[in-house]
Amino acid sequence: MPPEKINSVAAFPVTFRPGRYAGLTGNQVVRGFFGGNAIVSVVVLGLITLFLLREGHGFFGQNRRNLEIYRAAGLEFVDILKRQEEGFGSLNRTLFEIRLAAGREKEPGSPMATAAELEAFDAYASELGDAAGPLRELVGELVETASAIKTKLVMNEDRLAERQHLLATGRQSEAGSIRIETIDSEAELRPLLESRARHSAISGSLAKSLVELSERMPSMSAPELQVLLGEFGELLRDYVASFPGIERQLAEWRHDREVSIFSAITAFLFGREWLTASFWQDWYGVLPLVTGSFLISLIALGLAVPLGVGAAVYVNQIARPSERSAIKPCIEFISAIPSVVLGFFGIAVLGEALRKVSHIAWLEWIPGFPIAERLNALTAGCLLGLIAVPIIFSLAEDALQNVPKSFKEASLALGASRIQTVVRIILPAGISGIISAVLLGLGRVIGETMVVLLCAGNRIAIPDFSAGPGVMTQPVHTMTGIIAQEMGEVVQGGIHYRALFAVGILLFCLSLMINLTAQRILGRYRLLSS
Amino acid sequence: MSQSSTHPYQSRPGIRRAAERIAFWMLRVCTYAVLACGVFVLSDVVFKGARAVFRSEFPFVNVTFFTEAPESLHVFDYEGRKVEMGDREFRAFRHRESQKAAAENREPLPIESQSFVYSAGGILPCIVGTVLLTVGATVIALLLGISSAVYLSEYARQGTMVRFMRLAILNLAGVPSIVFGLFGMGLFVIYLKWNVSLLAGWFTLAFMVLPLVITASEEALKAVPKGFREASLALGATPWQTIRKAVLPHALSGMLTSSILCVARVAGETAPIMFTAAYVVRDKLPWQGLEHFGDFFFQGVMALPYHIYVVSSKIPQNDYTQRTQYGAAFVFLLIVGLIAASSIILRGKLRQRQTW
Repeated sequence: MPPEKINSVAAFPVTFRPGRYAGLTGNQVVRGFFGGNAIVSVVVLGLITLFLLREGHGFFGQNRRNLEIYRAAGLEFVDILKRQEEGFGSLNRTLFEIRLAAGREKEPGSPMATAAELEAFDAYASELGDAAGPLRELVGELVETASAIKTKLVMNEDRLAERQHLLATGRQSEAGSIRIETIDSEAELRPLLESRARHSAISGSLAKSLVELSERMPSMSAPELQVLLGEFGELLRDYVASFPGIERQLAEWRHDREVSIFSAITAFLFGREWLTASFWQDWYGVLPLVTGSFLISLIALGLAVPLGVGAAVYVNQIARPSERSAIKPCIEFISAIPSVVLGFFGIAVLGEALRKVSHIAWLEWIPGFPIAERLNALTAGCLLGLIAVPIIFSLAEDALQNVPKSFKEASLALGASRIQTVVRIILPAGISGIISAVLLGLGRVIGETMVVLLCAGNRIAIPDFSAGPGVMTQPVHTMTGIIAQEMGEVVQGGIHYRALFAVGILLFCLSLMINLTAQRILGRYRLLSS
Repeated sequence: MSQSSTHPYQSRPGIRRAAERIAFWMLRVCTYAVLACGVFVLSDVVFKGARAVFRSEFPFVNVTFFTEAPESLHVFDYEGRKVEMGDREFRAFRHRESQKAAAENREPLPIESQSFVYSAGGILPCIVGTVLLTVGATVIALLLGISSAVYLSEYARQGTMVRFMRLAILNLAGVPSIVFGLFGMGLFVIYLKWNVSLLAGWFTLAFMVLPLVITASEEALKAVPKGFREASLALGATPWQTIRKAVLPHALSGMLTSSILCVARVAGETAPIMFTAAYVVRDKLPWQGLEHFGDFFFQGVMALPYHIYVVSSKIPQNDYTQRTQYGAAFVFLLIVGLIAASSIILRGKLRQRQTW
């Protein structure tokens, strides 16, 4: 057929001439509409990052300023002395504990130490307590000086901010009327720096008297007490040995040494204290919150992983079809229980129930029992476990479902028993799916807010890990909890507000990391099975 | 029967067999322990909550609980009896007492009352707020989510952009709800100056469930056989006609059913609305005292989950306060549970019905 003929096919009886809107065919418009909607998820993810950073990025600058003032006002200097004083306080407490032990009755009617021994001990203790009098006095004076300098610096800072605000809004004359004092840090800090000589005299005499005291320990007849006293003498000598270090720190201290932005970041990430609205110094260290979050997650996963994976194996491999179709929706329904209801249940029932159980005498061998606080990491962890179980269950069950049937059949045909098939064939084949299920459960548990806010006890401190597994029964605070609890009370744009957003950024990054890891593991698994 | 049971490969009783049975039993115990925990939590809330919500005489339901706003509860001794009264009733009562005393020409009897906030009255504003938040957020999430799913499953070709979209969806699903709350606060409440409002809550909640809706809808679209599309295209239909006439009608029921579970999530979440939409207390219902129609969208509301948080964390637990706390938790659980249960049941039905 000649080529001209083909061109005349335009006269095809059913011609379709698309209408055009702004140069696009109708189909392109529709496609564009759907495509635009699909981009929303990308945009939202971008916006979340953007707005968290927008509100949170200022934190590090502000925290740096916060630390600069801490240094410039000499609070850091005083804190070195305060630590020395606190070291003495802990010595005193140790001595007090020995006193308590001495007064305790070993056998009914006879305390471990005789009355004469106790009297000598008390005299010794009071002599030791008096030794640090001058140091306490010095610290008290310096605290006041430093606080005064800090107040001045902060007021100046506020005035500067106000003037900048006025200038920005174009009120020049008002801005001019705000006087900003120039603070001569050298002069202000002179009393602090001059106190160094006094301090070295004080600490010299303290060291002398402590050494002298350590040489004439009161003697106790009971061997246990003697051991305790020996340990105390050791502590005393260590304490005295730390004095030169303190003096060196004081001598090296400079008020104008620069605070780098890096140290502002490390102070946030690795700071051991989250202390706000304090009269001395605010600290924004996220470490107690991170440990709290992970401790609770650990408890929750410790409960949820065996239960969730076990239930998945049971439902997928062992249960009869009718049982299976009944159990699956029930476990799914558990995931629909709102977390705030679970939190309420924890407050109203579980916390008290756990505490009562922990006070049963024959359960005392369990570490951490009896529980002192009604609301603690264990209460929150149990409830979060209940939240994580359905997630882990359904994802793990999917993973087991995806294991090709031929694997199981081959194993059974070779004569393996059902338990052998499950443990040696099905579980290894589905392991990456199960691991990613656990990771996604972890992501959910770390991000959960209401349960931890209501049930974790909300004490901002790094839990005492020296208690072993008993650490589980201590109250903690979490990253999500602190945001929910404090966000309502902070000034917009202040350092505290920005610190909470910084915690949000950390949480966001953490969840992204967990999620990406889970997906990577799952992706590898898909490649294997296909 | 007895002959066939003695074939040479039959599993014989022994230690291995016993171990297998024990292992299976342990797994069974795991499963039922999970179920028991769930049932225990549910039944505790339901039984104790039902006492606050239901009545033994007509109309069998505690009407004030559903028609009033929360108010303080006053408990006091009067003529040798313990009397409990809501705040308004208590004030009227005190007024009556003082009038009576004035008429009898004596000092009014001193009434020493203990008061508990939010422990009397009802939870109407909270229910209304939760319903408004849920409906609005669901509409937004479904519109955005179903359109995205249609694009991803019907139009998109594999490419960098689509891979990026899928990655974004998966990651969005893992973002903690409190981070969504912070984001909503940063974008809607502060940057767009919507303040604490319904609109801010709607968008925050909608974005939170968006990935779930997209995944669920895509699954429903994938369930429609390819032949439907091919037949339609072969008949000369445009892609849009194909989607509208041959794909969506079959997928829509599946999409909506799976999306109901997202509705339960929207209704059940507290953290995202804490800073974006919820007030601790507000005495007006959302449609009362509006100057413009537009103000409706820019007002905060009371919400049931936030109310439960407030009453369980801010007021002490005792017999008087626990009734309303359990009542609110029960009603909330009922709402969320019904939505979730209907989704699960409908999905099961749908799977049985689809036979292509």
